[in-house]
Amino acid sequence: MKNLFAIETKNLTKKFGAFTALDSLNLKIENSAIHGLLGPNGAGKTTAIKILCGLLKPSGGEAYIFGKKVPDRSILPVIGYMPQETALYMELSVHHNLALYGELYGMSRSRIAEREKELLKFIALEKWRDEPVSNLSGGMKHRVSLACSMIHEPRLLFLDEPTVGVDPELRASFWEYFNEMKRKGITIVLTTHYMDEAQHCDKIGLLRLGRLIAEGAPGEITRQTNTTNLEDAFLALSRQEVTA
Amino acid sequence: MNIRRAFSVTKRIFRGLRNDRRTVALMFLAPILAMCVFGVAFSGDVKDVHVVVVNQDEGYQPPGVPVKVSIADMIISNFDEDVLKVDYVDTKDEGVQRVEKGGAYGVIIFPQNFTRDIYSRIQNPSLSVSTTIEVRLDKSNVNVANAIAKAVSDAVLKTMKDTGNAAPVTVNADNAIYGKGAKFMDFFVPGIMAFVVFMLTTLLTLISFVGERTSGNLERLQATPLRASEIVIGYAITFSIIGMLQSILLLVIGVAVFNIMIVGHIALAFLVIALLAVVSLSLGILLSSLAKREAQAIQFFPLIVLPTFLLAGIFWPVEAIPSWLRPLSYAIPPSYAVDATRSVMLRGWGIGGIWIDIVALLGFAVAFLSLAVWSLQRGRG
Repeated sequence: MKNLFAIETKNLTKKFGAFTALDSLNLKIENSAIHGLLGPNGAGKTTAIKILCGLLKPSGGEAYIFGKKVPDRSILPVIGYMPQETALYMELSVHHNLALYGELYGMSRSRIAEREKELLKFIALEKWRDEPVSNLSGGMKHRVSLACSMIHEPRLLFLDEPTVGVDPELRASFWEYFNEMKRKGITIVLTTHYMDEAQHCDKIGLLRLGRLIAEGAPGEITRQTNTTNLEDAFLALSRQEVTA
Repeated sequence: MNIRRAFSVTKRIFRGLRNDRRTVALMFLAPILAMCVFGVAFSGDVKDVHVVVVNQDEGYQPPGVPVKVSIADMIISNFDEDVLKVDYVDTKDEGVQRVEKGGAYGVIIFPQNFTRDIYSRIQNPSLSVSTTIEVRLDKSNVNVANAIAKAVSDAVLKTMKDTGNAAPVTVNADNAIYGKGAKFMDFFVPGIMAFVVFMLTTLLTLISFVGERTSGNLERLQATPLRASEIVIGYAITFSIIGMLQSILLLVIGVAVFNIMIVGHIALAFLVIALLAVVSLSLGILLSSLAKREAQAIQFFPLIVLPTFLLAGIFWPVEAIPSWLRPLSYAIPPSYAVDATRSVMLRGWGIGGIWIDIVALLGFAVAFLSLAVWSLQRGRG
């Protein structure tokens, strides 16, 4: 059976002791789409991504990636994960960081070189290839981190706050690149708390205190809440939640 | 298990070290420093101890001998000059006072008629005269006190032999079975090798893994096809190589500077050290899972260093540890490595002699490696 959905979760729940980080999350994310998970700090965005990548064990419910129940090692080669932390080897050069991940995915040396060239152009750091990462600025490190998660051309990419600390010009080029990947059939799941940025997503899920409070295309959500932007929509939805 | 991915991890660590000179310096300068400082400070010999001699012996002219002799004087002249710095006073009280004021560690008192009584006794062994040299010591420093007592005994034995009155029974411990002519450094170098490899490997992997965790690198790795076992094997390859390099360095300096003896197959000693490095890095990885930050990891340092320092038989033998504490010595891996490297280097034993140590280290390695892999499994949260 061909899977329509790249990701599907059913009542996915995660508890850390008495704290519920994720509360019965039901998500359906289509193939070749850019899906944004939005919400304030502590809404459960990162927890959801970590469970989907197999880094955390759910306390309840289940999650499927390309029809396979996570955690499943066989999906690891086709997913890419960019953590929120910089997660690079500071004493290694940009090139060696990228090469390490290429090797871990079993890529050939020549393929790694090709991809590296493409990605360095995309993140505009060609001149910094042989520089230790520790010499780079925060935003530059972030770009290297993004490149590391894409070196192996994953079919599904999880990006936890990919645009933090990236200047507006480069951020625009990121979105261009994301859209290009989407056209190639790649699915991107990203988190952000920049509401304006979420307009670029095909679909978004609004999370609050571990629960999904709204889902749909950005335009739909603003329409439903009678607002003009997502920020107002989020505030309106939060208010409904509290009074309900 | 994919060995290429494990090698990628190994390559990554060595590449990182190339740009991290401080860690490399710690890896290779700390062992040298530890060996030299401990080696010189602990070299074992007590020297230049101040003692006071009260010589009340007037000497004696035995029948048929033309001159007066004093056995007390002869004993005094036989004192090892390196060990004892002798001062003279007239009365016992003065001598004791000197010790009480901290001016000396002991008073050596030769009684009146000492020489005469000795001659009388030789002629008539049943005669009840006292020929005792009284040694009053400040035993607040046991090592010093023991050194004085030994120096006096040695001088007495030598004097009796010189005067043709050797004791009817003697002990000869010069013809050793193993380690003939061994010095403190010969005993010490195998110990310090195991000590620095254990300590540095454990601490460096501990710090490095806390870094892997806090930086997010570990999670990123866990989201790739890299397996926990491959991470651990990658680290094991790296640190076994580093451990052996450290041992080679220590041996070269041991031979060149301290002129230590090596009678056995040194390759076997390296094997033991590599095995110890694997045990140590697994322990480091395990401990890292208990620390959330570097600062917490540092709290483990005394926990690792002290028991090893005291219980592993590096400076003093396990036999010198009270019997109720000794099981702890057998519970820490470096004890086996110290015993094995020492047996190989000084006794020249082969694998047949140290197989128990090897089995124990292998046991620790398998147990700790499995636990380390388990602690790195993804999705444990």
